[in-house]
Amino acid sequence: MTMVQTDAPNIVLKGLSKSFSENPDQGSYVLENVDLTINRGEFYILLGPSGCGKSTLLNILAGFIEKSSGELTIQSQSAAKEENRGFVFQSADSALFPWLTVEENVEFGLKMKKVATAKRKEIANHYIKLAGLSGHNQKFPKEISGGMKQRVQLARVLANDPQILLMDEPFGALDAMTRRTMQKELIRIWTETNKTVIFVTHDIQEALMLGQRIGIMSVGPSSKIIQSYQIDMPYPRELTSPDFNEYYKVVQSHFD
Amino acid sequence: MKTIVQQEVKLKPLEKKLPFKFYWKKVLKTGIITWIGLLLIWTVAAHFSDPQFLPSPLATLRGAIELGSDGSLFIYMAYSLVRVLIGWLLGNIVAIPLGLFIGSNKTVRELVEPVINFVRFIPPLAFITLFMLWFGIGEQSKIFLIMYATFFVVTINTLTGVLSISEDKIRSAKSMGATDFQVLRYVVIPAAIPFIFTGAKLAMGSSFMAIIGAEMVAANEGVGFMIWNARLYFQTDWIFVGLVVLGLMGFSMDRLFAWAGRKFLKRYSIVS
Repeated sequence: MTMVQTDAPNIVLKGLSKSFSENPDQGSYVLENVDLTINRGEFYILLGPSGCGKSTLLNILAGFIEKSSGELTIQSQSAAKEENRGFVFQSADSALFPWLTVEENVEFGLKMKKVATAKRKEIANHYIKLAGLSGHNQKFPKEISGGMKQRVQLARVLANDPQILLMDEPFGALDAMTRRTMQKELIRIWTETNKTVIFVTHDIQEALMLGQRIGIMSVGPSSKIIQSYQIDMPYPRELTSPDFNEYYKVVQSHFD
Repeated sequence: MKTIVQQEVKLKPLEKKLPFKFYWKKVLKTGIITWIGLLLIWTVAAHFSDPQFLPSPLATLRGAIELGSDGSLFIYMAYSLVRVLIGWLLGNIVAIPLGLFIGSNKTVRELVEPVINFVRFIPPLAFITLFMLWFGIGEQSKIFLIMYATFFVVTINTLTGVLSISEDKIRSAKSMGATDFQVLRYVVIPAAIPFIFTGAKLAMGSSFMAIIGAEMVAANEGVGFMIWNARLYFQTDWIFVGLVVLGLMGFSMDRLFAWAGRKFLKRYSIVS
């Protein structure tokens, strides 16, 4: 019997809580009792106002910070702890290495794993092309635009072939037009690579453009996922379609 | 449309004026005018005073030729320069790894920082006598003094460099599979290079200060000795030669260092 893993749970959270104080009592929790199941290959959106702890949740999923209590299971083929998760940071300027060229940035993870130079170049070039950065291999991050920097971040993460992509408002700092292009590109890359994506945003429109499922987080402290929506619209999605508007109204109602 | 055409015509004479302004700015940039002005003021001031008190630029030049003819000026310069270079290099060799270590380890930082911030306010010159007592009046005490002058500037700058690395860079490196050692080698050190470079550059200045002091107190050669010795013979022009030579030495070392930085560390965006 062949296993089709598309719908197998990939990430399971049960009653996960996080407090930054050492002696957590009621009210000091950033996150409290978060329950969440994300399937393999799913595009999942965490939507909420700023300060609701969605980035904290993403950082816990990445293994950057520890949870205080609850269960977190990440199932993957790879036994390596953090390498099966790729993280795309909000600010490309603080995440990319400015002393390395685009190509060297993309090669970084492979170099750390001591992959042979020729193989490294080949893989890096594949993802540079996939991210639409061909011809910019030898440029330094300061020589390219904000949107391109986020492409570099994406290519850099994908070159390590992680199973899960964690994205923390990666398009938040881009202008509206570039953001739209990047959203389309991300959907294209996601369709081609079949990764599980968890994408954090506070922008309802962005959430509806991208997500298969949207989890709405309550205002902090003690945030949790209060509602989850399945978005049944085909890609590429139309901003002006009646369906889109209907979804928009429903999601917006949580923030009024 | 008509108004636009008129404006274009009006702008034309302005463009013709540009070349003069352009060359003037270029000349101004070289600093030549500042130097000519300074020499003029010096000459005029010297004209109205006793040469024993303020020798003219010409008298200083004559003094330099006098000191240079038997080679003593160049020997003194070489002595001071070699002392500074050795002490500065050794100081950097000790300070950079230590700064990296203190910067990356919170416990060590908390233990060491109060001491560093106390000792660094004691100027190198205050240590001259003590270092002579400890290391003798030979080269050793002078090298140690310059190491001391270099040490704190470079350590503190390196440490600041390490602390200013964004958490995102370290996290991203780790999530891409870098070990702790790889994070140090491929992220922390490259990110700290601009800070280390600035520290080393500043340390060069304080090294010159320290060596002149040491040579004045205890040496039979070097530019500091030359300046101090000139007082015995009332050779004020020699003192001026010493000052000018010090300025030139410091200036060329600084330029050379900045040039090397731009040439070899370009990708690290050093400030020079």
